[in-house]
Amino acid sequence: MITIHVTEGAPSFSAYADFLDGESPIVHRVEISVDDSGSDAWLVIALPGKKPVRWAMADLRAVRDQAAKDMIVLARTGNKLARLLVNDPEAVRILSARAPMIKRGPEAPGKGRLFGWAVGAIASVALIILVLVPLMADQLAELLPPAGERALGDSTFEQIRTMLSDNALLPVEVCEEPEGLAALAKMTDRLSPGTELPNDLTVHVLDHDLINAFALPGGQVILFRGLIDAAEAPEEVAAVLAHEIGHVVARDPARIALRTAGSVGVLGLLFGDFAGGAAVLFMTERLIQASYSREAESNADIFALELLDQAGLPPAALATMFERFREVGGEAGGLISHFSSHPALGDRIARAAELTEVSGEPVLTPREWQALRAVCGAGSSTPSDRVRESKNK
Amino acid sequence: MSTLADLNTGFAGRRGRLFWLALRTSLLTVLTLGLYRFWMKTRLRRFYWSSIRPGGQPLEYVGEPLEKLLGFLIAVVFLAFYIGIVNLILMFLSFAFLQDNFAAYALSFVGLVPVVFYAQYRARRYILARTRWRGIRFGMKPGAWGYAGRAIWHWLVTGISLGLLWPRMTFWLEKYRADRTTYGTVTITQGGGWGMLYPPYLVAYISGLVSAGAFGISIWLERPEFAAILALSLPVMLIGAIHYRVAAFRKLTSTKSAEGIGFAAAPRTGRVFGIYVLGNFLAGLVMTGFMVVLLGLIGAYVGSSGQFDLDLEDLNQLGLPSALIWTVGLILYFSAFILWGVLRHVFLTLPLMRHYAETLAITGVSGLLAVRQTDRDRFAEAEGFAEALDIGAAI
Repeated sequence: MITIHVTEGAPSFSAYADFLDGESPIVHRVEISVDDSGSDAWLVIALPGKKPVRWAMADLRAVRDQAAKDMIVLARTGNKLARLLVNDPEAVRILSARAPMIKRGPEAPGKGRLFGWAVGAIASVALIILVLVPLMADQLAELLPPAGERALGDSTFEQIRTMLSDNALLPVEVCEEPEGLAALAKMTDRLSPGTELPNDLTVHVLDHDLINAFALPGGQVILFRGLIDAAEAPEEVAAVLAHEIGHVVARDPARIALRTAGSVGVLGLLFGDFAGGAAVLFMTERLIQASYSREAESNADIFALELLDQAGLPPAALATMFERFREVGGEAGGLISHFSSHPALGDRIARAAELTEVSGEPVLTPREWQALRAVCGAGSSTPSDRVRESKNK
Repeated sequence: MSTLADLNTGFAGRRGRLFWLALRTSLLTVLTLGLYRFWMKTRLRRFYWSSIRPGGQPLEYVGEPLEKLLGFLIAVVFLAFYIGIVNLILMFLSFAFLQDNFAAYALSFVGLVPVVFYAQYRARRYILARTRWRGIRFGMKPGAWGYAGRAIWHWLVTGISLGLLWPRMTFWLEKYRADRTTYGTVTITQGGGWGMLYPPYLVAYISGLVSAGAFGISIWLERPEFAAILALSLPVMLIGAIHYRVAAFRKLTSTKSAEGIGFAAAPRTGRVFGIYVLGNFLAGLVMTGFMVVLLGLIGAYVGSSGQFDLDLEDLNQLGLPSALIWTVGLILYFSAFILWGVLRHVFLTLPLMRHYAETLAITGVSGLLAVRQTDRDRFAEAEGFAEALDIGAAI
C-alpha cells in the first residue's frame, strides 16, 4: 500500500514495514515515510502510540549478503540492534535509490587488537619454528639412543620412498642386484671411518632418476641411481659417499628429522586444509634436499677430504662430481645447491688434491664398477636415461 | 490473553544466488592463499541465516570476518606451541624408549581430543552469540571444558558398551548444550529422556552389529563368503544412520522449551535421504561435465601442436615451459576443488537446510512477550580453535 504525496520538495512516499527495536522480540508493524523538509532527509518510522523514530537517510545501512531480494534489512549506524524489515517492492526501490550509503552495510567492530594479535601470532610461530624447535632438536638428537635413532631413520626412509613414487601403494624400489651390492660394500668398507659409530653404516641405492644422495638418522646413506648413472668413475661416487658419511658421523640427519617433526604440524596448522598436504610435502622434500647449515656442510666436506685421503682416493673427485652435476643439469639436489653456494670449496679441494698422494689402487675394478652401475637391474633404464644419453652423444 | 498462532518457518534462499556467492568467495579464498576464507564463511552464513524466516522475520548473522581472523591467530599462538614443542618431545621419547613413532602419534592425538571438544563447544557458542532473530541475541553460557570432560566420558562409555549407549551420549551432550543456550533473557530447557532415542536407533545399531560381525568372521575366521552380507548390511546401516540423525533432531527439538515457548520439528528421513542421493548425483554430474569440457580444451590445445600423447616427457620436448604445465595443473586442481565445494552448497547444504527450516514451527508464541535483550557476548577467539583444528561446521 503506497501513497505518493506530491509536495513542493522531492516526491515523498509512505509504506508499511516491520520494525524491531532490539529490546524485545515483538514485531512492530509501522508506517514509514521520508521527511525532506529540512536540509537533511530523514526516514520517519511511526511507532503506534509512541514518538516516531527518525533515522537520517545518510545513516541507513542495508545488511549484506541477504538470501532474497524481496526484503531489505535496514540498520542505522550507531545503533547496532534496531532493524527495519522492508519488503514493500516500491519502498525497497525508493530507499535503495535515496539512501546514499545503503550499500555499505553496518560498520564492523574495531580492528585495534587485531594487529597486535597478528604480530604476536607470526612472531610466536617464527620463534617456535626458527628458534625453539631447532634448539631442542639439536639437544635431543645428542641424547637419542642408537636404537631410537635407527628407528627414526627407518620410518623416514619409508616416507621418502613413498613420497618419491608416483604411486602411493608402490614405494620406490631399493636396488638389490647382489654383484652391485658387493661392489658398493667394497667401496663402503674402504671409506669406513676409524671412529666408532653408534650404528653400523648402511648404504642403499634407490631406483630413481634424481642426481642426489642423502643421509638418514641411524647411519644410513641413500644414493639415487641417477647419481651413479651420472658419475663417470667410481671415485666420484666414493667422494659423494664420503661427504654423506661426514653428515652421519656428525649426526646431522637426526637433527633435521626431529626439526621436521616439530615444524610440519605448525605449518599445516597455519595453512589449514587448504595446503596442509603441501606443507608436509615441502618439509619432506627439505629432508631429501638436506638443507643443513653452512657449518654442517663445511664440516662434512672437511671430513670427506680427510676420509678420501686416508683411503688413498683422489679428493678432486668431489669437485669433478660437482662439475658433472652442473653440466648434466637435471633436478638440482641439496649437494648441488650446496656446492653452487660455496664456490670457495673448489679452492679447498684443489689445495687438498695437490697434497694428496693417490695410492695406485682404484676404488673399484672396471668389472665391479659395471656391476654397481647395474645394481638396479639391467631393465630399469627409464626414458629420461635415454634422453640424457642422446644428449651426451 | 489470546493464544497466538504458531509461527511457521519460511525459507527464502535460492540456488542461483547461492551459487554465485559461493563461487565468488571460493575464488577469492584461493587467490588470497586462504585468507579470504574468514570472509567467505561470514558471507555464506549471512546468506543462509537470512534464508531462514521463522514467522516471516529472517535470522541475522552478525559475526565479523576480522574477529574470525583474530580468533584464528589466537588459536595458532597456543596450538603452534603445543604442536611444535610437545610433538617434538613426544617424538623423541617415543623413538628413544620404544623405537617407534606410533606412541608419539597416539599420545599427540589423545592430547588433542579434549581441545577438539572444547573447540566444538566454543565454536557453537560463538555462532549462537552472533545470531539474532527479531533483533534479539541468542547466546550460550560458558562451559567448554565441562563439555569436553563429559564428551570424553560419554565416548568412553559408548565404546565400552559397543555402541549400545550411543543414544544416551546423544541426549546428554545435547542437553548439556541446550540447557546453556539462551534467547535474550530466556534459557532453553531440554526435556524428554534418552530412552526416546532408542526406537530410531535400532536399525542403525542392528545393521552396524551385523556388519561388524560379518566383517570380523570374514577376516579372523577366514570365511570370506560372510563378507557378502556387507553388501546388504552396509547400505541399511547408512540409511539407519541418516534416520537416526533426522529422528534424533526431531525428537530433541520438539522436547526443547523456553518458558512457554516450544518447538515442533518434523523433518522426514525419506526426504533427507532423497536430498543426499539426488544432491550427490547432480553435483557429480555437473562435476563430470565440467572436467570433460576442461580436459577437452586442454586436449585440443595440445592436439593442435601435433602431439596427442599427454606424456610429461613429450610435453617437455614440445618446448612448453614447465611453469605453464604447472599453472594448468594447479588451475585444474583448484577449479575441481572449488567447484565441488560450491556444488555441495547448492545441491546438499541448501536443500537440507530448507527442509529442516520448513518443517520447523515455534509454538507457545505468547512466551516471546516476556523476552528481553541481553548483552553482547564478547569473547576474543571466536571459533579460532575449531578453525585451526579444521573441525569447523560445514558453513
